[in-house]
Amino acid sequence: MTRPAHFIAHTGRISLAAIEEMGYQFTLFAESLYWLIAGPFVSQPVRLSAVADEMMKIGVLAVPVVVLLSFSNGVMMAIQGIATLQEFDAESQVVPGIAYSVTREFGVLIAAIVVAGRSGSAIAARIGSMQMSQEIDALRVMGIEPVRHLVAPILLAMLLMMPVLTLLADSAALIGGGLYTGIVLKLSLSTFIDRCFDTLAVYDLMQGLVKSLVFGVLIALIACSNGFSVTGGSEGLGRATTRSVVLSIAAIVVADMIFTYFLNR
Amino acid sequence: MGYKIEEAAGFAIVHLEGDVDLSRSPTARQAILDCLQERQHVLVDLTAVTYIDSSGVASLVEGFQVSRRMSLDFALIGVSDAAMSVLQLARLDQVFPIFASLDARLAQADPKT
Amino acid sequence: MPAINQQSEPVIEIRELVTYYGERKILDGINLTVESGEIMVVMGGSGSGKSTLLRHLLSLNRPAAGNIRLFGQEVNKLSSRALHQMRQRIGVSFQGGALFNSLNVEENVAFPLREHTRLDDNTIRIMARMKLEVVNLAGFEKLMPSQLSGGMIKRAALARAIVMDPKLLFFDEPSAGLDPVVSADLDELILRLRDAMGVTIVVVTHELESAFRIADRITVLDKGKILITGTTQEVKESDNPRVQNLLNRRTEDIPVNADEYLQRLTDDLAGL
Repeated sequence: MTRPAHFIAHTGRISLAAIEEMGYQFTLFAESLYWLIAGPFVSQPVRLSAVADEMMKIGVLAVPVVVLLSFSNGVMMAIQGIATLQEFDAESQVVPGIAYSVTREFGVLIAAIVVAGRSGSAIAARIGSMQMSQEIDALRVMGIEPVRHLVAPILLAMLLMMPVLTLLADSAALIGGGLYTGIVLKLSLSTFIDRCFDTLAVYDLMQGLVKSLVFGVLIALIACSNGFSVTGGSEGLGRATTRSVVLSIAAIVVADMIFTYFLNR
Repeated sequence: MGYKIEEAAGFAIVHLEGDVDLSRSPTARQAILDCLQERQHVLVDLTAVTYIDSSGVASLVEGFQVSRRMSLDFALIGVSDAAMSVLQLARLDQVFPIFASLDARLAQADPKT
Repeated sequence: MPAINQQSEPVIEIRELVTYYGERKILDGINLTVESGEIMVVMGGSGSGKSTLLRHLLSLNRPAAGNIRLFGQEVNKLSSRALHQMRQRIGVSFQGGALFNSLNVEENVAFPLREHTRLDDNTIRIMARMKLEVVNLAGFEKLMPSQLSGGMIKRAALARAIVMDPKLLFFDEPSAGLDPVVSADLDELILRLRDAMGVTIVVVTHELESAFRIADRITVLDKGKILITGTTQEVKESDNPRVQNLLNRRTEDIPVNADEYLQRLTDDLAGL
């Protein structure tokens, strides 16, 4: 085969594989929703203890990192904001600048990236090693749907914890930004917070929260599907874990861009 | 539907019957534990049992354990070959006091063996 | 050998099963019947298709053609609810055990009961420990799977497979990776289970010794086809050279086609 033909064939194969993977992720999503809603009626409920367990791992344990990163991010935005606005003698406008970008963008982005890094890899590794040791097959032959048993609790935990982490990230970033602004512009933290609330509408917070739900779903599906499709021993497991983190962060950023475009027109 | 319980010679005799499986063993368990709660010596009659699965056997084990804690007498009577082979699998035939019938139990003087 | 109940319908009936892996035919027209209460050993070397056959019997794969009936019901036509119920009558012991790594031995064994029944907690615990007694793992219930030896893992997996008192038990490579003594113990256990519980057992293995020790009947699989199905005696006395090769652990001499062979070695090389 000639080189261009090779290239086209290769591109075609990759695109097909990508479409197939997205189809699989959609199936996981639909099945998880089915079990979450219909499970109790066919006496195969999604276990609340499993959901609580996942909420702990995905949400609670991520709090320190999310707070630290968001706080630092808030401080950095204040530094850069004030430096830039000084040129126009408009330093005081730094408050709405931080308030908007934190609630609409950076709070949720930081929360999502931390969760993708921590849980995206952990979930893919856990499901992947269960796949390798035939634990997934064992579940299936026992009549226990792996999607109900493994994916649904993760998805629900994501949907519950991502908004919480986002609100935490928002607060930490605003406090970080507020403290720095306060020191430099001699503005008390409470004045800063008051002015934030004057600026912000419910819509701004909602924008971040809605996105957090979407990002949570993306992380859960990408991590689970990569875990289920592990082949080829421990090397394959490593590949799936890395792939899960890289793909979910990429998906988050691209989805964020699309959202921002449509929500801010 | 509960199991027939008869009192004779100082024993409450629980007559299990039919298939004692996952769906019926909770009833059997309750019947046995109820008798023990009333501080009665218990004989479990397996004569009319067509099949007993491990949940049924587990109920017997729990009854036996409770009876020992309460210093009550507990024994199995009328154990069929099929039931016996289930007991033997986990070597429980060497654990339970097993008698052919109530009379065989009464023929033994000491109430606790 | 206990009498096989010929009156009741067969537990497993496989008709003209054909499957592919990609373009490659893995199973080619498999017909097999397993009667109630018998121990059927499916034997074959690696690549014979025996693992694939097992996956089909477990409804983990869907066949390209043909059908499988378990307990008289065609598996491919079952609703998911009916399949769910059927699976509670089937126990499987996987090659590597497939114990849940996050649960200890007792939790592993009790797992199907917790998922499928509403039995009292005490009853579940007693049932799990009874099965551990059966497989001689009493006293190890609190250990995690990673702390168990190969033989213990197999026995724990067997305990989990029989905890629901299944009517049909599948055993994938019971002796693989075990020393001969442990493996003989396990075979003994399989025989005891069949006698006490009347369970129908299908064992997939490549170990001759174990196969002849436990089997009522043996079916020999080679390159996706059944060479012979019969009693241990019939298999031993078979005059099929490939069966004899397998029994005597001789690798088969495949005639060399010079052209194809050369092609395989030089394919894709530059400048040819």
